[in-house]
Amino acid sequence: MMYGLFVIFGVLLWSSISKTFFLPSLWTLEIAQFAMVAYYILGGPFSLQIGANVRMDLFYGGWTDRKKAWFDAFSILLLIFYLGVLLYGAIDSTTYSLQYNERSPTAWRPLLWPIKIIMCVGIFLMLLQAISEFFKDIAKLKGKEI
Amino acid sequence: MSYEMIAIMMFSSMMLMLMTGQRVFGVIGGVAAVASLALWGTGGSDLPFSAAMKLMKWYPLLTLPMFIFMGYVLSESKLADDLYRMFHVWMGPVNGGLAIGTIGLMVLISAMNGLSVAGMAIGATIALPELLRRNYDKRMITGVIQAGSSLGILVPPSVVLVLYAMIARQPVGQLWLAGVIPGLMMAGLFILYIYIRCKLQPQLGPALGDEHRNISMSEKLRLLNAGLLPLGIFAVMMVPFVNGWTSLVESSAIGALAALLTAVFKGRMTKQVFETTIRQTLAITCMFMWIILAAMGFGAIFDGLGAVRAIDDLFTEQLGLNPWVILILMQLSFLVMGTFLDDTAMLVIVAPLYVPLVRHLGFDLIWYGVLYTITTQIAYMTPPFGYNLFLMRAMAPPEIGVRDIYVSIVPFVLVMIIALALILFFPQIALWLPNYIYQK
Repeated sequence: MMYGLFVIFGVLLWSSISKTFFLPSLWTLEIAQFAMVAYYILGGPFSLQIGANVRMDLFYGGWTDRKKAWFDAFSILLLIFYLGVLLYGAIDSTTYSLQYNERSPTAWRPLLWPIKIIMCVGIFLMLLQAISEFFKDIAKLKGKEI
Repeated sequence: MSYEMIAIMMFSSMMLMLMTGQRVFGVIGGVAAVASLALWGTGGSDLPFSAAMKLMKWYPLLTLPMFIFMGYVLSESKLADDLYRMFHVWMGPVNGGLAIGTIGLMVLISAMNGLSVAGMAIGATIALPELLRRNYDKRMITGVIQAGSSLGILVPPSVVLVLYAMIARQPVGQLWLAGVIPGLMMAGLFILYIYIRCKLQPQLGPALGDEHRNISMSEKLRLLNAGLLPLGIFAVMMVPFVNGWTSLVESSAIGALAALLTAVFKGRMTKQVFETTIRQTLAITCMFMWIILAAMGFGAIFDGLGAVRAIDDLFTEQLGLNPWVILILMQLSFLVMGTFLDDTAMLVIVAPLYVPLVRHLGFDLIWYGVLYTITTQIAYMTPPFGYNLFLMRAMAPPEIGVRDIYVSIVPFVLVMIIALALILFFPQIALWLPNYIYQK
């Protein structure tokens, strides 16, 4: 998983650099955009896993681990709900793209479904990771560390 | 329920959920998802995802991972060590000279990356121990480093200004140029303050002893070379951009490449450094992107409700406030929010609300971008819950306590407020350079 992310980063860097040194072509910007989307959507679960996301630590910072776990176990449901709606929208939009062969309204006109499928996968993984965080919190409340 | 009520409900439920300490993006997105389903039923279910598609088309965002990458290359590979030594030798003999040199160091670092965290990390790990060893007053230097790191988001390239540019739909180039003079002015004010303070109380920042003055002139000149490096990276990145040879995104990629190559040639890019850099870049980029993604969903609902107009109405028509009063109130609200929110989160939540209001009041949006940036930085540094304060606490050596950190920033915050007021009353400080360059 992590090394896959290195690859995505490489692609992004490469595509941005290549367009500087070679002829400016129509496709680089969009490829870079697709790579960026794939990068952060697929990287999302990773950032969730290592806890890189900012929280508002006005009160949170001072709590005990147990209290943190209690609040998290409830408030993460909101996150899961959000990801669920996001996934629903993503699948909806992807099936539409597949059905009508939707193309991006630019000069290059790439097909949109491949990137949408990647987004679906990424959001789905994010959802799984969020659920895993939820179970970790519950486990913590029961006194077990995962 | 009236639209204003819905907007206020959304906003307050978001604030309430944020208090629980859940991840910021989860809270914003969650509230947005609930609201869109409640308002538009199943038709609202696509709303959070369409925000993702909209986000994809905002190509200036591609600069985000680039600048973050640059920042981490600089701080992880210790390129800044040489820079610090340069200032050390050149500024050392003056009272408080090392503190002044640290501000200079921060300006150069700011010119190479777009986040304030990198400057702080470099300052706290390189400059701070050295300054303590030279018997500088710990309260003063803690303040110096925090104040200096705040320049990072004002001097181009600046990630915060890129985000602002997208939300306010203003050209990034002009915003960056607008940040240059205020940034340098603020650095100048800091230096002036340190200089006067150390003249009056020499024990705060003793000058270096004789053994340091005996460094030969050629050695001194050799060290000056170190200073060329950041200027070189900056020039490689900015010159093609300002001249219109490359786009913003392309320039950022060149900058990242330049930083990477320098690190490689200096032999500082070990495998371990490379890996930390890339991993950190990924984590930070994802954090930013998910917050923006969630906030765009939130913003879309606000747009759909026409909440901006409602709030605008409330201020200008019903309360009958003067535009300047509103402007100052907005800045104050930033200060309050900055005590508990990250600057990016603050920007994406509040800017969609404030920017149209500012435009409606007839102020210049580029000028407001600079004001906004400085205000966030002040907010970021002010106790009791400044974000920077915690970072500083985490990075500083143990003899510097929370109290020291809190006390240390007071004079610098005052200086920043003076700078803010100057820019507020003389918009030309910010606007002269972009107007000059773009009117040619």
